[in-house]
Amino acid sequence: MHSNSRYTLNFKGTLPTLILEAIAHEPTHGYRIAQQIKERSQGVLDFKEGTLYPALHKLENDGQVESYESVENGRPRRYYRITKSGRKMLATDRAEWRQLSHAVTAILGEA
Amino acid sequence: MTQLDQWLTQATAKLSSDSAAQVRAEISEHYESARNAALVKGASTEEAGRSAIAALGNAKTANCQYRRVLLTSAEAKILRQGQRETGAICARPWLKAVLLVLPAAALWSSAVLFLRGSNDLARTLLVGGLTLLVAFGVPFLPIYTASRARIFRWTKYVMLAATFAFVFGKDAMMWTWLLSCTVWPIFWIEWTRNTIRRKLPVANWPRHLYL
Repeated sequence: MHSNSRYTLNFKGTLPTLILEAIAHEPTHGYRIAQQIKERSQGVLDFKEGTLYPALHKLENDGQVESYESVENGRPRRYYRITKSGRKMLATDRAEWRQLSHAVTAILGEA
Repeated sequence: MTQLDQWLTQATAKLSSDSAAQVRAEISEHYESARNAALVKGASTEEAGRSAIAALGNAKTANCQYRRVLLTSAEAKILRQGQRETGAICARPWLKAVLLVLPAAALWSSAVLFLRGSNDLARTLLVGGLTLLVAFGVPFLPIYTASRARIFRWTKYVMLAATFAFVFGKDAMMWTWLLSCTVWPIFWIEWTRNTIRRKLPVANWPRHLYL
């Protein structure tokens, strides 16, 4: 993980999209979502895990995520799964991100 | 008090008891997973606990974010008051009847007075009757979808403004101080209800939240 704060991106606006992506394939619990985001970004997208749940609640209030209780290793855990409206939002966000990414790459050039 | 308890106390400040319980459950679950993962990697019990707390971040920041998405104790109080009021009306059929008869009587009298040519009084009764209908006729209206609720609320606001304009006529602007003094509690409750609507999924809205 990058310790330099320059690489610790403030990605507050994209966190809901990353959460939706993390649960797009299978329902999972909060801790696993946080780990997935960190692992898949190879530590670049570091964030404080206490802020994950407010984002999950917001997605749930907006109907993009559903939650349910399940037992894992004898412990009750709250699992989150994406809804139909969540999938739509994820597809839109993904398209917008690609467009933005292309535009920035066009200006800055390929790495 | 453990470090986790201290973190949770700060993170759940001003949240309703249900919201606080929810936060406690999910954060404790998360903390345990993070702590176990650190122990598996070979950290000592103390280090594992410390790193799990550090990963959660600042409790005050989390509290600010939680208060934006979960009910606070003040909002929960307004929600309970609304439920009590609705319950009080629903439990008394005579009260329901009175609430319906009052606007109906005002509208009927207005129509009679119009026919007799007393236009000024008839107009007053018409505005009064319509306002009473919006205020008291609510339990009888089929408002159980978010879009209907939105239409009803806008009608209610327009009726309130129109009643004020009608009562004070040309002097309405002079009486804005009276309006601000009397309307601000209504405005504050409406504002809080709007916040509650954003925080609860529509499926979980109690009846009075539609109005």
